[in-house]
Amino acid sequence: MAIIKKTDEEELLIAHKELAFQKEEKEKLAGELIIARKELAFQKEEKGKRAAELGIANIELAYQDDEKGKRAAELGIANIELAFQDEEKEKRAAELGIANIELAFQDDEKGKRAAELGIANKELAFQNEEKEKRAAELSIANKELAFQNDEKEKRAAELGIANKELLFQNEEKEKRAAELGIANKELLFQNEEKEKRAAELGIANEELLFQNEEKEKRAAELGIANKELAFQNDEKEKRAAELSIANEELAFQNEDKEKRAAELIIANKELSFQNEEKEKRAAELIIANKELAFQNEEKEKRAAELIIANKELLAFTYISSHDLQEPLRKIQTFVTIILENENENLSENGKYNFQRMQLAAGRMQLLIDDLLAFSRVATTELKFEKTELTVIIEEVKTELKDTIQEKHATIEAIEIGSANIIAFQFRQLMYNLISNALKFSNPDIASHIIIDSKIVKGDKLNNEKLSPEKNYCHITVTDNGIGFEPQFSDRIFEVFQKLHGKEVYTGTGIGLAIVKKIVENHNGIITATSELSKGARFDIYIPAA
Amino acid sequence: MISTQPIKGNLKPLKILLADDDKDDRLFFSMALKEITIPTKLTTVVDGEKLMDYLSENTDQLPDVIFLDINMPRKNGIECLTEIKQNKKLKDLPLIMFSTSNSRDKIGMVFKNGADVYIHKPSDFSQLKQVISHALPIAVENMFSNGSLKYILNA
Repeated sequence: MAIIKKTDEEELLIAHKELAFQKEEKEKLAGELIIARKELAFQKEEKGKRAAELGIANIELAYQDDEKGKRAAELGIANIELAFQDEEKEKRAAELGIANIELAFQDDEKGKRAAELGIANKELAFQNEEKEKRAAELSIANKELAFQNDEKEKRAAELGIANKELLFQNEEKEKRAAELGIANKELLFQNEEKEKRAAELGIANEELLFQNEEKEKRAAELGIANKELAFQNDEKEKRAAELSIANEELAFQNEDKEKRAAELIIANKELSFQNEEKEKRAAELIIANKELAFQNEEKEKRAAELIIANKELLAFTYISSHDLQEPLRKIQTFVTIILENENENLSENGKYNFQRMQLAAGRMQLLIDDLLAFSRVATTELKFEKTELTVIIEEVKTELKDTIQEKHATIEAIEIGSANIIAFQFRQLMYNLISNALKFSNPDIASHIIIDSKIVKGDKLNNEKLSPEKNYCHITVTDNGIGFEPQFSDRIFEVFQKLHGKEVYTGTGIGLAIVKKIVENHNGIITATSELSKGARFDIYIPAA
Repeated sequence: MISTQPIKGNLKPLKILLADDDKDDRLFFSMALKEITIPTKLTTVVDGEKLMDYLSENTDQLPDVIFLDINMPRKNGIECLTEIKQNKKLKDLPLIMFSTSNSRDKIGMVFKNGADVYIHKPSDFSQLKQVISHALPIAVENMFSNGSLKYILNA
C-alpha cells in the first residue's frame, strides 16, 4: 500500500506539477489571448480606418473619374478643334505651297536673269581682264623694246668709243712709224748694226701694216654693224609707236566697253523700274476697270429708271391733256352759244373780244390735240409690218387733197418701195412732213414736193450715227418752199420750237417733234437740210429689215 | 332731273333719255334739242346707276333713244351699254354714245358692245345741233333694222 501510496503521492505530485504547469500554461495562454485580443482590436481599428480611407479614396476616385470624363469631353472638343485647325493649316499650307511654288518660280526667273546678268558681267570682266593683260603685255613689250633700244644705243656708243680709240691707236702707230722712219735713217747711218735691226724692224713694220689693215677692216665692219643697229633701232621705234597706238586703241575700247557695261546696268535698272511701274499701272487699271464696271451698272440702272420715268411722264401728259380738253370744249361751246344767241345784244367790241377768245381757245385745242398725238406716238405699242410706202403716200395725198389744190402743189414719188414700219405712225410722219412742206411753200411758185426712197448700205450714207455694215431705207422728202436758216436744222425737231410767229404760220411746234419721235420708234435718224428760201430736205434713215 | 319739251306741230315727240354727269353738257344738250327741228321730249339722269334705275322703273314708258356719256361716276357708259344689251326688254333700244374721247380703242369697244352711233362731243354749239340732228334718224332707223348700221359722228 505504501508503495501504492507512494505511487499515489508520486502521481499526485506529478499531477500537481502537471496542474501547475497547465495553470502556468493557461496563464501564459490567457496572457497571449489578451495580447491577441488587443492585437485584434488594434487590427479592427486599423481596418475601420482603412475602410474609411478606402471610402474617401473611392469618393476621390469617383471625382477623378468625373474629372477624367470632363477632360475627355474637353479633349474631344479640343481634338475636333485641333482637327479643324489642322484642316485650316493644311489649306493654308496648300495655299502657301502654291504661293511658294509661285515665289519659287519667280525666284527661278529672277535667278535666271541674275545668272544671265552675272554671265554677261563675267564675260565683260573676262574681256576687260584680257584687254588689261594685253595692255600689260604690250607695255612690257614696250619696256623691253625700250630697254633693247637703250642697250643698243649703249653698245653703239661703246662701239663709237672703241672706234675712236682704234683711230687714236692708228694715229699713234703712224706717229711711231714716222718716228721709226727717222730712227731708220739714224739706223742706216748706224748701218751695219742697225741693218739687222732694220730687217727686224721691216718685219715688224710689215706686221704692223698687216695689223693696221686688220684694224681698218674691223672699223669698216663696225660701221656696217652700227648702221644695222641704227636701222634696227628705227624699226623698234616704229613698232613701239605702233604698239602705243594699239595700246591707246585698246584702252579706248576698254573704256567704251566699261561705259557700255555701265549703261547696261543702268538700262537693266530702268527696265526693272519700268516693269514695276507697269505692274502698278496694271493693278491700277484693274481697279479702274472694276470701278468703270460698277459705274456702268449704275448708269444702266439710271437709264432704266429714266426710261420708266419718261414713260410715266408721257402717260401723265396723255391723261392730263385728255382732261384739259373737257373744260376747253365747254368754253368753246359757251362762246358759240353766246355768239349765236346773243348776237343782237352784243356790242361790236364785245363780239370782237368773243371772237378773240374763240381763237385762243381754238389754238389751245390744237395744242392739246398735238400734245396728245405726240404722247400717243411715244406710248403706244410698236407693231412693225412690211408696208408699201406708196400706199401710205397716196392716203396722205387724199387726206391733204384740198391743201394740195389750194397751193397748186405737185407731189412726185420716185422709186418708192416697201419698208418694215409701224404703218399708222409712218402715215402720221408722212402727213406731218408733207403738210409741213405745203404750209411752208413759197407763195410765188407752185409747190413741188419730191419723195424718194432707196435701200443703201450705211457706209455709203455719210452719217456717223449709222453703222456702216447695216442696210438702211433712206427716204428723202424735198420741197421748193421757203426753207430755213441752216443753224435751226436741229432745233426744228424739238417740241414747241417754231421759227415763225403764229400769226404768220399756224401750228404748235409739235409736228416735227412727232416726226422725230416716230423715226426714233423705228430705230432710225432724221436730219433736215435747208437754206433760207432755197427749199428744205428731210433725210430719214431707218434700218432695212 | 327731268324736263319736258312741248310738242311741235302734229308729230309725236321723240322720247330721249340722256345720261351725263356734267351739268354744262346737259344744258348744252337740252338747248340744242330745243333748237333742232325734230320734236323731242328729254329726260336726263346724272349717272349710270340712275339710268339703270330709271329704265327698270319705267318699263312701260321706255325712251325712244338713249344718249349715253362714257365717263360717268358710279357706273360708266360702257357698263350701262353692256347691261342694256344683255337685258331682253331693253336690248333693242337705240343707243348713241356721247363722249369727248376720240380714241380708236374706245370707239371700237363701244360698237362691239352694241352701240349704234358714236358722237365725239363738238366744241361748237351749231355743230352740236348738227350731230344730234344726224344721229336721231340713224338711231331710229336702226331700231327697225336690228342695229346693223354703225356711225361715228365727228364735228
